[in-house]
Amino acid sequence: MKVDSHVPTDLPEFLGGEPAVARQQCRPRPPAADGHTPGEPGLWVFILGDMSLFGAFFVVLLWQRRATPRTFEESARELLRFIGVINTAVLLLSSYLVVSALWAHRQGCWRRARISVLAALLCAAVFATLKVIEYLHVLRGGQGPTTNQFCTFYFVLTGVHLLHVMIGAGLLTAWLQQLRGHGSQSRFVEGVAVYWHMVDLLWVVIFTLLYLVCAA
Amino acid sequence: MSTKIQLVCAWSGPATVVVATVGFLIAGVLPFPLGPNSTVTEVVDFYSDSTRVAAGLVIAGLGVCLVFPLVALIGVYMVRTEGRTPILTFVQLITGAATGVLLLLPLLLMTIGSFRPERNAELTVTLNDVSWLLFITPIAPFMIQNVAIGTSILQDQQSLLPRWVGYVNYWVAFLFVPDILAFFFHSGPFAWRGIFVFWLAFVAYGIFLMVMGWMLRRAILDDSVQAAPNAVATS
Repeated sequence: MKVDSHVPTDLPEFLGGEPAVARQQCRPRPPAADGHTPGEPGLWVFILGDMSLFGAFFVVLLWQRRATPRTFEESARELLRFIGVINTAVLLLSSYLVVSALWAHRQGCWRRARISVLAALLCAAVFATLKVIEYLHVLRGGQGPTTNQFCTFYFVLTGVHLLHVMIGAGLLTAWLQQLRGHGSQSRFVEGVAVYWHMVDLLWVVIFTLLYLVCAA
Repeated sequence: MSTKIQLVCAWSGPATVVVATVGFLIAGVLPFPLGPNSTVTEVVDFYSDSTRVAAGLVIAGLGVCLVFPLVALIGVYMVRTEGRTPILTFVQLITGAATGVLLLLPLLLMTIGSFRPERNAELTVTLNDVSWLLFITPIAPFMIQNVAIGTSILQDQQSLLPRWVGYVNYWVAFLFVPDILAFFFHSGPFAWRGIFVFWLAFVAYGIFLMVMGWMLRRAILDDSVQAAPNAVATS
């Protein structure tokens, strides 16, 4: 609880001493330095495990690319890079929205939390829609999952990632349900936020590898 | 007595891994399994040493069936956490039973492959394809089982099992996802013997069996020490 040193807190409220609770409301708090693990420690088994599978995907992708760099380059250029860029921005925005939703949730500002979560859900929907449009474009261009190694990785990586986005959207919806009941299970909502940031982080790497590195 | 039986059931988790692996090594399925791009000669050669292959696969088949006692033990713990409407327990028992069958059946088909190795080579290749694709691709019961276990652990107020075990179950469910790609690729990392299919599923299922067996063993021992039906197992 941070209070300005020159304002005595024991004054009655009408003399300028604000109630202790009100001071903190709806204002971002600095991250806790008390050794608190976001969500709970066990959650990180899943987060790190999940990311290590993606890490393995990335390593094998780069390994396979060494054999046929030209094919990778030609196929990567077929992707709609602007959709990738927009999707990256959309997911980064959604991560920010989740951060602000978590702050609002911690302070008990239910309305603001609900708006932020809804906006993050909207971002997820935009992301998925753009992804499907890109799939249709690639498929119409005559490239399927089995066309070559690059296409395989493109469809597998983005497909598994899209699955994560959908699961994340389900979790955000569950968060909304909790907000409706003004529930305050901070362990659950922190877990959802951590998961969502992981989805975002994975996309940034996937975008870099598939759209930029392979096309270079 | 019940504690002893429960401990045996817990040990059957790690035992599944050990016995099945030994069987696979004897049969020659491990360390280098046949793949969808193996030549006809390679496939026929594999099954030609019929006694060794059959013996190994019979051992592996017995090994994977050790999962049944573990499934029952997981059910016993889940029903304690769920109370009067143990729906996740039933989901786990049903899918757990299915997974055991889904592991056993392809091994029996593979064993049949070694039964008459002098048959037309194409038939052996077909039998081999059927065995392997049946072995690798039916992931849904496994994933539903893992999600049911994970959800029940995370909803458990008594913490009979540590919460990270729940998250391990979710993770294992996720690791099975690439297996369905085995239908679409004949070579590379997503073919049935690729690292993201056979090897990943093998490691994931091994982790599941080891973790569940070991943590249930601890929970049983803690229970028997405290000799109370609702004792807290681990922190």
